[in-house]
Amino acid sequence: MTVRKLPWDLIVVGLLAVLPLIPGLVTGIDRTLKVPIGSELTTLFIMAILALGLNVVVGYTGLLHLGIGAFFGIGAYTTGILMVPSYPFQVSFPVAIIVATLTAAAAGVLLGSPTLRLRGDYLALVTLGFGEVLKFAIKNLEEITNGTKGLNPIPPPKLPGLDADWSADYRYYYFLSLFVLFVVLIVLRNIENSRMGRAWVALREDELAATCMGLDTTKLKLAAFALGAGLAGLAGCLYVVKLGNTADPEAYGFNRSIIALCCLILGGLGNRTGVLLGVFLVLGFDNILAPVADKYMQSLRPTGAEVKDYTTFSFWRLMVFGLALILAMRFRPAGLLPAKRSPTG
Amino acid sequence: MALDLVLFAQSSGNVYAQSLINGLTFGALLALIALGYTMVYGIVELINFAHGDLFMLGTFFALTVLSTLGLTGAGAAGASSGQLIVAFALMILLTPVFCAALNWSVDRVVYKPLRNAPKLAPLVSAIGVSFCFMNVGMFWNAMIPENGKTVPSAADRNFPSLLSNDNLLPDNALKFTVKDAVVIGVTIPIMVALTLFVKYTRLGKAMRATAQNPTAAQLMGIHVDRVIGATFAIGGALAGFGSVVFSLTVNTIGFQIGYQNGLYAFTAAVLGGIGNIPGAVLGAVIIGLIRSFGSVMIGEKWTSALVFAILIAILVFRPTGLLGSRVREKV
Amino acid sequence: MRRRHVFAAIAVGLGLPAVCFSGFGCKGSDSATPSGDASTIKIVSSLPRTGSAKGQTDTIVNGIKMALEEVEYKSGNFKIVYEDLDDATAAEGKWTPERESANADQAVKDSDVMVYIGPYNSGAAKNSMPITNKAGLLMISPAVTWPGMTKPGKGDHGEPEMYRPTGKVNFTRVVPADDLQGPLGAAWAKSMGVKTATILDDNEVYGKGIATLFKERCEEIGIEVLGKQESIDIKQNDFKSLMTKIVTGAAKPDLIYFGGTSQTKAGQIAKDMVEAGLDGSKLMVPDGCCELAFIQSAGNDVFKTLKCYVTFGGLPPDQVKGKGKEFVEKYKAKYGKSPEAYAVYGYEAGKVALEAIKRSGKKDRAEILKACLSIKDYDGALGKWSFDENGDTTSRTMSGSIVNPAKGDFDFVAQLDILPVK
Repeated sequence: MTVRKLPWDLIVVGLLAVLPLIPGLVTGIDRTLKVPIGSELTTLFIMAILALGLNVVVGYTGLLHLGIGAFFGIGAYTTGILMVPSYPFQVSFPVAIIVATLTAAAAGVLLGSPTLRLRGDYLALVTLGFGEVLKFAIKNLEEITNGTKGLNPIPPPKLPGLDADWSADYRYYYFLSLFVLFVVLIVLRNIENSRMGRAWVALREDELAATCMGLDTTKLKLAAFALGAGLAGLAGCLYVVKLGNTADPEAYGFNRSIIALCCLILGGLGNRTGVLLGVFLVLGFDNILAPVADKYMQSLRPTGAEVKDYTTFSFWRLMVFGLALILAMRFRPAGLLPAKRSPTG
Repeated sequence: MALDLVLFAQSSGNVYAQSLINGLTFGALLALIALGYTMVYGIVELINFAHGDLFMLGTFFALTVLSTLGLTGAGAAGASSGQLIVAFALMILLTPVFCAALNWSVDRVVYKPLRNAPKLAPLVSAIGVSFCFMNVGMFWNAMIPENGKTVPSAADRNFPSLLSNDNLLPDNALKFTVKDAVVIGVTIPIMVALTLFVKYTRLGKAMRATAQNPTAAQLMGIHVDRVIGATFAIGGALAGFGSVVFSLTVNTIGFQIGYQNGLYAFTAAVLGGIGNIPGAVLGAVIIGLIRSFGSVMIGEKWTSALVFAILIAILVFRPTGLLGSRVREKV
Repeated sequence: MRRRHVFAAIAVGLGLPAVCFSGFGCKGSDSATPSGDASTIKIVSSLPRTGSAKGQTDTIVNGIKMALEEVEYKSGNFKIVYEDLDDATAAEGKWTPERESANADQAVKDSDVMVYIGPYNSGAAKNSMPITNKAGLLMISPAVTWPGMTKPGKGDHGEPEMYRPTGKVNFTRVVPADDLQGPLGAAWAKSMGVKTATILDDNEVYGKGIATLFKERCEEIGIEVLGKQESIDIKQNDFKSLMTKIVTGAAKPDLIYFGGTSQTKAGQIAKDMVEAGLDGSKLMVPDGCCELAFIQSAGNDVFKTLKCYVTFGGLPPDQVKGKGKEFVEKYKAKYGKSPEAYAVYGYEAGKVALEAIKRSGKKDRAEILKACLSIKDYDGALGKWSFDENGDTTSRTMSGSIVNPAKGDFDFVAQLDILPVK
């Protein structure tokens, strides 16, 4: 096997699974960087699942989707409604995760059906619009979603045979999310090499030719939307369970969708390992590197001096992030790890 | 929501007319930004996410002009009409030039090397430029002192109210102020000028040709690269005019105003048919009206959702936008 | 990938976590880092240091640092180290649940940390409170005012028990909660002769909460609330359409109440009121707007015709006496300007933290927490107050100010908690 053909994404997952088992490594990193690395990595795994969902729509099928945050939100709030004490359902975690994924997938089909005639950037705008409508619906329909206050508290998963305090040790959520990520990667791997995966590529390259070849583009597009939305919903479920509440409705808005898209394009569209890399770079910057840099700059400052805006790292965060995106696109426009069959133009 | 509609019916009839005025003025303002989006998209098929933030930087430039003339803060109150005229002239002349130059430069440096790259690469670069502009906006806010004091960088900034708020209509039930008149008075001539420009001048025709088919245009002897640069410059200038009008009439600027206005402007451009100039204006006016009527009829917190819901509905029935032409796919 | 490879992969994938989970008992807790230095005590603060709230949090941090400087970063034999954590990200421009949880996680794991000052937003507290509660870490907030965080029955269903998984109180605040501010604001309005009011809010936890409390009190004391309580979309440029609705309604209100902060467009509301011709009505805003940034964002001119009233916990800098006055003088000497509204809360929070550490005399979270909750009749910059059994301050001092356009600052009007009830 050539280096290229190795299942790098699974290898990375394997390494990450081994990471907490090395005694003292994680605690050591925690202490030097002063950031809870295990918890942060868990968040990255969840966002990776979200980005992989977006990858199905944008990378495999070539449809520009600017509203993946909405489906993330649908999965999140479905889980919330099913699990919080203020609602009578209070289902167990495995049921919640399945229902959340299916609900989000159904919503994906719902968004997809009327929009099949739309091309390119018009579709992008409709997905964006849907994302915004949903975000405001979440924010304003207080009777259902509790608005900006969020649904609180979401109990930790009670898995059979495991009686533990999930919030005491980061490893529970870490391995749960890593395992789900692993399964998602395997599933995507198989889909990519299946008939549907190849049909998606044909659709992406030339829709007209694909129709001429007898492919049912309607079913393919809907399937892509469904799978992408479903994965986003799955990520949403894990997100709120880890957090313990449904957070601020803004977390499911346009910002989330755009950051997911950036991760995807930076890492390499259509390439699972590329997506993982993109997520680690982009969100790793925001969640891990930025606080570390902030603390470092703080330590350089003499105690007691007035905090001036531009001496903090957080003031320059946006610019550093922006420049990184610009430079990355300038020198690697197809992403850092482009797909084997790159989407053309 | 039902209660709102009942209250709406009970209120005086003026609310319709006033909402109409509010909607049209906001729509006119949005059109200036939307035109920049649509022109750039028409020619390079790029959704320039940084365009809204370019508009935001234009507002800070205008504030800098005023600050240099000493017309910010307490100084604004004591300005003579001569000073005001000089201020207006400088703002309206210099801001579009600044925005045009900035937009053109960003194209040269960031987008030009990506002309042949996969389509999504310039999109992500535009997002990167947008973030950079936002940071510059924050920095700029802190650089312009107000009454000698530094303003917190991330806070909203007051833009001096140099235009009077006097009502031009005799009866005080309906308000059409000097500010509203300025908005209409500046945007309509610009839009007319732009339409004439694109239709009758050589550069305008070259722009249309490049938008239609860059290769054929090149074969016809059109310097495509220069035309693209000119389009970015003109789009930037339009945003610049928008900045001045916005600053003088809304009187609040800040590093985040680019996001929301850019989103609405982009929506307007697509709604009207992306690449289509009258379409962008139509889309902007529609959004302005939805905004003002929606706020009164359904509730302020639903306006944004309403705009997008109507957008989705329209696009489902007219997949290429209201005035967009159906592009026949060549096999 | 061949079928058998798939099965092998799934087997490995399932097996690995199973091995890890089962090994948990033997591994021992990975959670707390051993303390580096027995004589160092850390105080961390978690505030939004990126984005629009930065101006306010700068003043809070200055306040905390001043308190620590007064004791030269020492308490008994302990050296005090202060860390200023950010719970906001560049991408969002405001606090995020992940960052707040991460800050709480990190504080809990670092066994040198004895006090957690923060957060600034009520929404953020929901994330960090359960985490610190489980570790028994003392939290002192200088700005969270949603009543449900501490007061049973005053918040949503299940509050505040859901924030106290161990059942014990670990969250305290030096600022009076909104269940005090809202109603006192309404009483003040009544005393000014207000008969009708329109209520607006910014659709956020704090703003909506206090606007609702104001509205409920108005209904109780006979101020007629016109229309429904309306939430705004804070991303919009202006609210002309909303003002149009109010102006063309059945009657113009005597007072408009806006529940929000200067970051959530309070200044714009003031401007739009004047533009729509509503400057005959009064405007009242809560303490989230009690800062110069509010006046600056609206511009002084607006307040020449519009009377804007602000409620605020505690007394303004020129009215305080005793320790509060000393704080103001010191701040002016050090930074060259008057402290802003929240600076004194940050200072008091820092002082309380130091007091708790001093009283316990030990580097032990449970002891310090107990010492803090036992603080009674503390004479500080915010006056004389104690902590009650919920971790709330017993201070009921609330003041009302009006914006002075000539000075571009606030003028004290009345102390609201001692206003005669009509």
